[in-house]
Amino acid sequence: MSDLLQIERIGKRFRGLKALDDVSFSVEEGGIFGIIGANGAGKTTLFNIISGAIKPDVGIVRFAGVDVTGRAPSRLCIAGIGRTFQIARPFPDLTVLETIRVAVLCRVHAMRAATERAVAIAHRFGLAQKLDRRGRHLNVLERKRLELARAYATGPRLLLLDEVAAGLRPSEVDVFVDIVRAVASENITVLMIEHVLAAVFALARRVVVLDQGKTIADGTPQAVAADPKVVEAYLGAGYAAP
Amino acid sequence: MSAAGKPSPSALVVAAIAVAVALAVVFPFFVRQQMVVAGTFVLFSCYLAQCWNLAAGYAGQFSLGHTVFLAVGAYTSTVLFRDYAVSPWIGMWVGAGLAALLGAVLSAVAFWYRVRGVFFAVITLGSVEVFRGLFSEFDILGGTAGIFLISANDPVNMNFLSRIPYYEIILALVVLAAAGTFWLERSRLGQYAMALREDEEAAEASGVPTFRCKIVVIAISAAATALAGTFYAQFLLFIVPETLFSFDHMLNMMLGTIVGGSGTILGPIVGSLLFGVLGDVLRSLPVVNSQEAASLVRIGYGLFLIVVVLRMPRGIVSLWERRN
Repeated sequence: MSDLLQIERIGKRFRGLKALDDVSFSVEEGGIFGIIGANGAGKTTLFNIISGAIKPDVGIVRFAGVDVTGRAPSRLCIAGIGRTFQIARPFPDLTVLETIRVAVLCRVHAMRAATERAVAIAHRFGLAQKLDRRGRHLNVLERKRLELARAYATGPRLLLLDEVAAGLRPSEVDVFVDIVRAVASENITVLMIEHVLAAVFALARRVVVLDQGKTIADGTPQAVAADPKVVEAYLGAGYAAP
Repeated sequence: MSAAGKPSPSALVVAAIAVAVALAVVFPFFVRQQMVVAGTFVLFSCYLAQCWNLAAGYAGQFSLGHTVFLAVGAYTSTVLFRDYAVSPWIGMWVGAGLAALLGAVLSAVAFWYRVRGVFFAVITLGSVEVFRGLFSEFDILGGTAGIFLISANDPVNMNFLSRIPYYEIILALVVLAAAGTFWLERSRLGQYAMALREDEEAAEASGVPTFRCKIVVIAISAAATALAGTFYAQFLLFIVPETLFSFDHMLNMMLGTIVGGSGTILGPIVGSLLFGVLGDVLRSLPVVNSQEAASLVRIGYGLFLIVVVLRMPRGIVSLWERRN
């Protein structure tokens, strides 16, 4: 069976600065995968390329065996790539229900059915009490929940999560770990960028490590954590697994 | 919250709107002709604001070029009538089609180059100058002298001696536009438009084809505006670039919509009614004949605008909304 997502020799420069340099890896269908790396390692750039928000200078993104490099994000969304943004982006003037429903509408075209599905999703992501609240009036935790609910509502095969646990208290991180695990159990492949390593290590079956735009390691969380290159580049001395 | 999404209007609101429409329909039969004409102009600005509200209020595309579509509607039906004896009742739809096409092409070019926000506004403003120039140059369009039509009792060609039929036509357009906006708000297209107005990238990530949606909404808005162009031509029986491309139309659309409440069904109507009626009342006051009084009125007008925008950034209709 072919991989769900294949990243082949992706390169991207911003004003001459190498953001990504010859990055290749692939993700098989099913399960949770992590991308870790220090600030500026190129993680979000990579997500933006996979989701179509920006085009790579070189390289190919294959989704379900099809070359989708440079397609519009909405087309990739229809194809089955859902994403969250690092800083949650609720629609300020739309309600929680409307926001989730817009995402549902790309699969379910009938308004009534889409509304019902959106309500069910809001329930699932702990937003049932906030259906009529506008995006601008949500707190940080609610924004994160909505961001996740919206990405999930697009009915993805591959879900890209950009630091969903960032800025949360440990107890809240646990909530999101549970949510992500539940989503993944529905045959949705999850690719997550995380700074909160505890979250990645608790969830991911494989981790890719980026450092200054290059992949420096790719393996199980245990293997990656023990890799001297990773320890040196990112985790720092004393973090290596015993 | 109804299953269709947006809350359904309550029976009270529906009844109030029905009464308001009924009163508006019979209004011209009980007043002097001067008032009928004034009412027609007010409704005309209501309708233009409603058209602009589709593009700017719902899809967030702040066009300053809607007078182009107004002119396309006016010129298309007028030239078709003058040269080919096509009734303006038919010509208005040809004009609407042409305006939709033009709106789609103009916006497609702009969006292809990723033009957004204030730059989109400037580009549409530029298109006004281009088309004003073009319309002034072509002899078939009457050049800067314009085209005159002859007043006649000819309802088949949208030509009436009485002012009342014109009033009723533009009133019908206002009601239809409100119904259309009501439908749009509850449609997939409308929901997509509102999402992309709020945040284009997030909308794209939610599966909204923003490029296509923006073009479709602008085309609809342009077509609706063109219908008003035909009406305007038949009402005045005289078209000339100077009046059709006048920025006053644009200003009325924007002020009416923003003061009333952009991105709402009733906002543009409420705002335009307020401005129209206020303007007419102020002008009719005997004291306004002096230079000082005229300045005072102007100052009051400006202050009112500032207060509304500061205190009610979501327009007058938000006062009513806040209750919920």
